[in-house]
Amino acid sequence: MKRMGFKELLFILPAIILIAFFSLWPIYKVINYSVFDYQLNDQQKSKLSMEEKFNVDLFMENSDYVIMFIDMNRFSFPEDVQDKVDEVINNVNSFKELLSDKSGFIVLSGDLKKQVRNDYNKLISDTDYFINNYDFPDKENLILVMEDTKKCFVQSNFIGLKGYVNALADERVRDAMGHTIVFTVVTVALELLFGLGLAIIMNKAMKGQGLVRAVSLIPWAIPTTVAALMWSYLYDGSSGIVAYIMQNLHLVNDSRDLLLSGGGAMASAMIADIWKTTPYMALLILAGFQTIPGAVYESAKVDGSGVFNTFFKITLPLLKPSILVALLMRTLDAFRVFDLIYVLTGGGPGGSTETMSVYAYKTMFQQTNFGYGSVVVILMVVSVAIIAAFFIKILGANVMERD
Amino acid sequence: MDKKSNKFKTAVFTIISLYLVIIIFPFIWVLAASFKPTQEIFGEGAFNLMSANPTIENYVNVIQNGILQAMMNSFIVAGLTAVYVVLVATLAAYAITRFKFRGKNLLLGIILAVSMFPQMIIVGPIYNLFMNLNLTNSYFVVLPYSTITLPVAVFILVTHFNKIPIALEEAATIDGATSLQILSKIVFRLAAPGIFTTAIIVFIAAWNEFLLTVTLNTNKAYHTVPVAISFLRTQFTILWGDVTAATVIVTIPTLIVVLLFQKQIVAGLTSGAVKE
Repeated sequence: MKRMGFKELLFILPAIILIAFFSLWPIYKVINYSVFDYQLNDQQKSKLSMEEKFNVDLFMENSDYVIMFIDMNRFSFPEDVQDKVDEVINNVNSFKELLSDKSGFIVLSGDLKKQVRNDYNKLISDTDYFINNYDFPDKENLILVMEDTKKCFVQSNFIGLKGYVNALADERVRDAMGHTIVFTVVTVALELLFGLGLAIIMNKAMKGQGLVRAVSLIPWAIPTTVAALMWSYLYDGSSGIVAYIMQNLHLVNDSRDLLLSGGGAMASAMIADIWKTTPYMALLILAGFQTIPGAVYESAKVDGSGVFNTFFKITLPLLKPSILVALLMRTLDAFRVFDLIYVLTGGGPGGSTETMSVYAYKTMFQQTNFGYGSVVVILMVVSVAIIAAFFIKILGANVMERD
Repeated sequence: MDKKSNKFKTAVFTIISLYLVIIIFPFIWVLAASFKPTQEIFGEGAFNLMSANPTIENYVNVIQNGILQAMMNSFIVAGLTAVYVVLVATLAAYAITRFKFRGKNLLLGIILAVSMFPQMIIVGPIYNLFMNLNLTNSYFVVLPYSTITLPVAVFILVTHFNKIPIALEEAATIDGATSLQILSKIVFRLAAPGIFTTAIIVFIAAWNEFLLTVTLNTNKAYHTVPVAISFLRTQFTILWGDVTAATVIVTIPTLIVVLLFQKQIVAGLTSGAVKE
């Protein structure tokens, strides 16, 4: 093999750039988001900030109103506080002067921080003085403006691991994790069982393998959302044929229970997934069968091994690697299930089919809470890592080294 | 003995037929329903296979609603992804199988890890990035598609390149060919079937992508098939006629690809999964 020089480096550079930009950098960002109270539609929390910040623009706007409300109402105040009125207006003006060359969100530090704090406290006590002691026409307005002015100090939204603590106590996370695990275990187990059975039969059936293979590929190849929508029609309570058949077979009491009851909706999602993925599983295992040389079976036959003995002692052990790889890929796929459930049930009814992916998506893009959504995503990644580590451990050999 | 094997054959035949029926039945039912007028979908005729008064009204509706635009978008997006991802993956897989370099195992480990991550992890930051760069509602969505397609492509191609004897290339090196010449004149030609297989797998994966497009391209003009289809469901009332017609239309391209390239698809799927 050639050593890698500069020219050879160019071969892997594009791949490295793509992975760095669109896989590694986002992962770093998500970890970052997860330790902040980061909410896109909340002005106070829409940026990641480690330090306290001051919103100069908001202050400038509000201070004008403060001056206006006090100045315009000056005749509601008694004669002896007119000097006080002038003093307060001067104070506000000098506060504005202090920040006159600044704009947007600024980080306060050192002397400026002290002075802003000082001026701000003065402003609060001055306005409180008028609000508490006198009645004037714009009193309510002044109170509102001061409420708003308090928002000029934007606290750091760094929360450390608090998001994780909240998530671990969050019942919705626990439910979502439960649904995800149930969905994964049931679908993968049944898909493996049916897939193995089908692969054995397909392996025996000599005629029409091309047809069977083509048909098997179709459910796998169509977009998941198309399959989900197709099944939602078949499951429909009033006009769905599958719901109708199930009702007539007394598998469900009422055809509407299928998508409108928690258990029914989960079972429906599982059936749709099994329908879509079992053929794929069968093809993967079938490929494994075809790597077993026929001579192995012949010598087993010569040695007098029975059908069952051959299957359990020879076929299964030889198939083990391909089954495990297929199982790993399917388990990870099922664990991150999103499209199917999002389109078929939307996580409903009443959150009874909400998986981790669906919950994370809703938190991020419907509640625009990127911080907490990232926490949910990371919990998912940790689970995926545990599953993968478990499989790679029992796979024995390193999956990475396929060559 | 003969009787037994006949019985066995019948059992195999029955199970295979049952299996085919279960797989195909939903498509047949949806195809039949797509020709039913609305009153037959909801009313008395809901459970009859054939329509009493077949109509193409549903097809006219979904075509007017822009399903063909969505298919066009899907073609563009899946085509672009297939081309650039396969190119990048071919170069990378060639380097991985032919050059010695430090951190090769790290690179393979990262690629494997990325293929296992839930896609949900990249969506938030990519959304922010695209908002900041004003790239939402554009075909730039193909760039983050690399996360879901590049690892698979690299693994399939590494498997294929490993099957090509290195002696040929060594001979070419002795004759004075450069790496790029070897790649284009020898490896590309020998690996063409593998590269083609990879392209089809990447194309299908990109064609079916939902999450990134639904978050990044909210404008209907950039919806791909999976996204456009999902919006038929979230409407106030579900028009099953439109849904079934749209399903039929968008399944046709997939059907054609599967029928034409089933051998390559199976080879691609299994080269990643089966240890040889």
